[in-house]
Amino acid sequence: MTQRQRTPTGTGSGPGAAATAIGAPLPGDGQEHLDEPMFDLVGAQGLLTGTTQGNGALGWVRQHQTAIAGVLAIAVGLGIWQATSLVMNPIFISTPSLVAPALWHLLVDGPLPADFLRSLLEMIGGVLLATIVGVGIGLLMGRVRILERALEPLVAFGNATPSIALLPVMEVWFGFGETARVAFIMTIAVWPLIVNTHAGVRAVRGRLADVGTTFGMSHWQQIRYVYLPGTLPYIFVGARISLAVGAVGMILGGQEIGGTGLGGLVTVLGARSETAPLVAAILTTTALALFLFWALRQLQARAFPWIAATSAGRRE
Amino acid sequence: MTGEATYTTQDPPTAASDPVAPRSDRDKILRIESVCKTFFTTRRTVHALDRVSLDVHRGEFISLVGVSGCGKTTLLRILDGLDTADSGTISLDGVKLDGVSHDMSYVFQDINLLPWRNVLDNVALGLEVRGVGKAERRARAMEVLELVGLASVAKVPPYTLSGGMQQRVGVARALAVRPKVLLMDEPFGQLDNFTREALQVEIANLWEKLGTTIVFVTHDVDEAIFLSDRIGLFQPGPGRLTEILDVDLPRPRTDYDVRAHPRAIELRAYITEHLRGGKEAAR
Repeated sequence: MTQRQRTPTGTGSGPGAAATAIGAPLPGDGQEHLDEPMFDLVGAQGLLTGTTQGNGALGWVRQHQTAIAGVLAIAVGLGIWQATSLVMNPIFISTPSLVAPALWHLLVDGPLPADFLRSLLEMIGGVLLATIVGVGIGLLMGRVRILERALEPLVAFGNATPSIALLPVMEVWFGFGETARVAFIMTIAVWPLIVNTHAGVRAVRGRLADVGTTFGMSHWQQIRYVYLPGTLPYIFVGARISLAVGAVGMILGGQEIGGTGLGGLVTVLGARSETAPLVAAILTTTALALFLFWALRQLQARAFPWIAATSAGRRE
Repeated sequence: MTGEATYTTQDPPTAASDPVAPRSDRDKILRIESVCKTFFTTRRTVHALDRVSLDVHRGEFISLVGVSGCGKTTLLRILDGLDTADSGTISLDGVKLDGVSHDMSYVFQDINLLPWRNVLDNVALGLEVRGVGKAERRARAMEVLELVGLASVAKVPPYTLSGGMQQRVGVARALAVRPKVLLMDEPFGQLDNFTREALQVEIANLWEKLGTTIVFVTHDVDEAIFLSDRIGLFQPGPGRLTEILDVDLPRPRTDYDVRAHPRAIELRAYITEHLRGGKEAAR
């Protein structure tokens, strides 16, 4: 492959030029390089104005390059979305100028706050239950050889079952209220936690477990001092996946069981072809999920800073 | 080819006529009798240890040296109860051991500090498990940290320290429970040369000061010669303890260049030859 010159940084100096050369995305490379500028806007600017030393406004722009790029991308996206109304009937994807007031109405004199709260609580309840059950089962599987043998095929089976198929089962067991919805979210979200906790215990078994043995720890002391904390990086990975699939369960549960919460709201608005409030409701769902992801990251960073700092958590 | 290596077979340095105050006449703290261990994997059977017997004397520094896969680490793990022997017995101060002994502690090659505990709480871990109260275990851990010169980083998470400092914490953690025997499994294997040499001097000084019995596994011949009273040589396939050498070099060895000492040169040549022979036999 020939190296393609991608930026007009003719001056060849300044941190921007170096970042472009090093930050070139590698093949098969994931997210890591996304925050590095693909095109060195400021470097180009420097070429045009004949200066590479950022001073005043230019220096500020150089410092906040990434943030500016993000804001610009959103602005451009919104602009294109708004422009679609010129060629498309807004009933399909609406426009920002219609969605914004619709969101306002849903918030101020609509059902959104109540639905949001209901969905949020069901989601937190379901994922918390899934965490307790999933971490418990994962730890047991990792620590008790016979349970590991017995449960491994069952977990593989449950993990492979498309959870939506279980929705009617939840209705049969728990009726059409919030119990069924929370149970459904839990059923969906528990598998990644079981699988990841189990994998974490197995990783601890190979190394840190020796520390527990050498100090003569009892079975429970080993879990408390070594296995549970040692498995935390894996539990957090599992919890993140659980939140993602749990959000699907939250919407599905709201749609199918009782028609409430954000899922119910989305269904009703869709049936009425009220696209602007529908899009507003969908964006609210996204915001809820993003908020939960953020909260989980905060919890990890504040309570367990060692996870990010040690190799076990470096997959971040 | 025929001329070389003859001196080693004709003149085994074990028969030192005038040993320099060997500690071998002290009483035996650890008796290892005919220990066997076989690992079964799906592909093959590994005879890790074949009837290994060894007496460790109280207060001595004994190294187990051999090529990779000769069973020396397996023996150390069995001593600590991290693995179990298929047959044979181990007794400490005349008491037959079954499982983990509270009187021995282990220093790991990959250090194995708990990243969620700060340095002090890592060192205090063994005491905490044994039910020592918070104030007392912290005081005792602090004492040991001072001993290894790390009191200033007591409150720091271990992963912020260099590899050498981390392993000093690992040694402190093992010493905090005041073991009768300290088992060290290639503790400096992951460190760079300069750090390794510094830690060798430090562990020699610690041993002189504390008088703890140390069983030390390494494949670094110079390290073994510098530190040990005796060196046990292991041969692989099956893992056997084939010879025990007295290291009759004057102490303290920090006072002179051990590597240049004629006796050390002789020992190194003999051990290297021995290990090379073992490596060939394993093929």
